[in-house]
Amino acid sequence: MTELARREHAGATLARAGAHPDVSVIVTVVERPEPLDALYREYAAVLASCGMSYEFIFVAHPFFHEMLQPLMALQQQGEPVRTMESPRSIGETALLRMGLADARGGIVITVPAYRQVQPSALRELLTAVEGGADLAVARRWPRLDSKVNRLQNLALHLTAGRLANGKLHDVACGVRAARRDVLQDIPLYGDFARFLPLLAIYNGYNVVEVASEQHPSDLPRRVYGPGVYVRRLIDVLGLYFLLRFTEKPLRFFGLIGSVLAGIGGIALIVMLVQRMLGQPLGDRPLLLLAVLLATLGVQAIALGLVGEMIVHFNASRRRSYRLREPRVPGSESARSS
Amino acid sequence: MPPFAVPDLSIVVPLYNEEESVGPLIDAVRDALAGHHSWELVLVDDGSRDTTAQVAGAIAASDPRIVLLQLARNYGQTQAMQAGFDRARGNIVVTMDGDLQNDPRDIPLLVAKLEEGYDLVAGYRMRRQDKVVTRKIPSWVANRMIIWLTGVRIRDNGCSLKAYRRDLLDQLHLYSDMHRFLPALAAATANARISEVPVRHHARRFGVSKYGLTRVAKLLADLLTIKMIASFRESPLAMFGVGALMSGLFATAFFVAWLWSFREAPVNLDGSPLNAYVFPGSALLCIALAVFLTMLGLIAEEALQKVRAEEQLERFGAREVHG
Repeated sequence: MTELARREHAGATLARAGAHPDVSVIVTVVERPEPLDALYREYAAVLASCGMSYEFIFVAHPFFHEMLQPLMALQQQGEPVRTMESPRSIGETALLRMGLADARGGIVITVPAYRQVQPSALRELLTAVEGGADLAVARRWPRLDSKVNRLQNLALHLTAGRLANGKLHDVACGVRAARRDVLQDIPLYGDFARFLPLLAIYNGYNVVEVASEQHPSDLPRRVYGPGVYVRRLIDVLGLYFLLRFTEKPLRFFGLIGSVLAGIGGIALIVMLVQRMLGQPLGDRPLLLLAVLLATLGVQAIALGLVGEMIVHFNASRRRSYRLREPRVPGSESARSS
Repeated sequence: MPPFAVPDLSIVVPLYNEEESVGPLIDAVRDALAGHHSWELVLVDDGSRDTTAQVAGAIAASDPRIVLLQLARNYGQTQAMQAGFDRARGNIVVTMDGDLQNDPRDIPLLVAKLEEGYDLVAGYRMRRQDKVVTRKIPSWVANRMIIWLTGVRIRDNGCSLKAYRRDLLDQLHLYSDMHRFLPALAAATANARISEVPVRHHARRFGVSKYGLTRVAKLLADLLTIKMIASFRESPLAMFGVGALMSGLFATAFFVAWLWSFREAPVNLDGSPLNAYVFPGSALLCIALAVFLTMLGLIAEEALQKVRAEEQLERFGAREVHG
C-alpha cells in the first residue's frame, strides 16, 4: 500500500468514526519503546470503557521506524490510529508539537511509548479534565520502584520541582491529559515538554495531580549515561531562567555579575592601598585574579543589560498576563474583551 | 449613561486578597464620582486566594459601570495594572490601590490637574499613615535614588494614585515590576509632561500589607535598567562603547605600569625575571573585556533593528493608508 493510499484509508476510518473524536492520544516514540500495538490496545480499552471516541497519533523518531509496522496493520483493520515519523532526528518536544498540530480531540492525552502507570489512570485523568482542570498529570504514587529511580526523582524535585511551589510531585511522569487549546497555547520548545506541567502553572493554568498506580514495567532500575544527566541539568537551569527571570534578566545576570565584580573590586582596592603604602604590585598574581573577576562581573552585568533592552523593546508586543475564563458572574473572559 | 457608551474616565484598581476592602472601595468610588457624568471602574483580580473575585463579581454583575477582570494566576501588580490599562476605555485613566489607603475623593483633583495640560499627574501622600522603619524609610531612600538616577522629580513614586492620559499609556508597556517607575519611564521614553498633587492617605483598615522590606537589590537592578533605557535607548552601542573605552584605558594603565616596572630591578635576587606576567596579563584581560563589550553593543543594535523598523512603520506607515 502506498503512503497516499494509507493516509486516505486512515481518513476514511476517521470519517466513519465521526470527524472529531472526544480524545486524541499522542504517543511520542523516542525512548525505550515497548511494543506499540499492545500499548494501543490497553489504552484504547480504557478509553472505550469511558464511552469516549478517540484517535491515537503515534509520533516516532526515525530510529524507531520499524516499531510503527504493527500500527500500520492496525490502521488497515480500521482502528483509529495514525502514525507520523519525523523526517530527521528531533527530540520529544518537537515530536509532541508535530502530534499536537494534527490532534482533533477536545481533550489531548499524552503518553510515552512505555508504561509508567496502569492504563486505568487515564480514566481519572479524563475525569479531572472534565471536572474543570486545565491539565491533569498522573503521579506515580505510591512509588514501588527501585531506590535508584526514586533518588533520581528526588534530585529532579529538589531542582525543577521547586519551581512548581510544591504543587507537583512527579514532574517526570509523562502521562497527562489536557484540554487541547491549553496545550496549543503553551509555547513548547527545546527540551521543555517534560516540564509541561510547570509551564502550564507558569501560564496560569489550573494543574491537578492524580495519584496513579505504577506499572510493573516501570519498576526496574534505570541508570543513564553521564551525558543524559548533564543535559537534564542544563534543561533545569534553562527552565529556572525561563520561569523566574524571562522578564528581568538583569536580576539574574546582575546578581552573578555583582558578586564577581564585587570580589574583584574589593581585592583591587586592597591591593591599590597596599601599593600606596609601599608594597610592590607587579609581582602579585592576585592582581590577575582580581582583574579576571572584575572583567567577568562586568561581562555578566552587560549581558543582563542587553537582555533588559530586548525585553523592554519587545514589551509592546507581549502581554505576560493571561485572563482567566469566567467562573465568577460579572467577570470578563479573555476572548470577549 | 447607556451601558455601551464609552466613558471619559476609567479607574483601574488591582486587587489581591482584598475581600474586605473591595465593597467599601466600590462604594467610596461611587460616592466620590457621583457628580462625574461618565466613568467606569476596572477591577483587576490578581489571582486572589480569598473571595475577592466573588465579592467584586457580584457587585460588577449589578452595575454596568463596573468591570471585573480576573488574571489566571497571581502575576503581580504591574501585570494587573497593564491588564486594566488594556481594558480601560476612558481618555483619562486613574490608578489606585485596592486597600482603601488611597481616597477616591482625590480623583477629581487629579483629573482637574491633568486637564491643565499634563500627561501624568502623580499623587503624593500627605501625612502618610504607615510604619516608619519598614515602609517610610525604604520608600524615602528609593525615591531619592529614583530622582537622582532618572532626574524625574516625583516625590512619591510608591503612591498608586495617579492619573494618565490614554495616549501616554498606549506608548508605555509595563513588564516585570515597572509600575513603580512609570513616571520615570514616561518621561524617558514618551517625553511626558508630569505634575504632582498632594493626596490623602489613610491607615490600613483591613488585611495586611503586601510589600516586603527586602527589595533593595531588585530596586537597584530595575533602576539600572531604567537609567540605561533613559540614557541609551537610541544607541546601546554608545553605552557599550563607553564601557569598552574605559576598559581600554585600564589596559593602557596596566601596560604603562609594566613598562614603568622595567626602570626598577628587572630580576629577583635569585635571578628569575620579575613580574613578567601580572601586568601584561591584566592588560590583556582588559583588552578582552573591551572587545567583548564592543561586540555586545553590536549585538544589541542588531537585536533592536527589527523593533525599530516596526516602530517606524507604526509611526509613519499609517499615513500612507490615509494618503
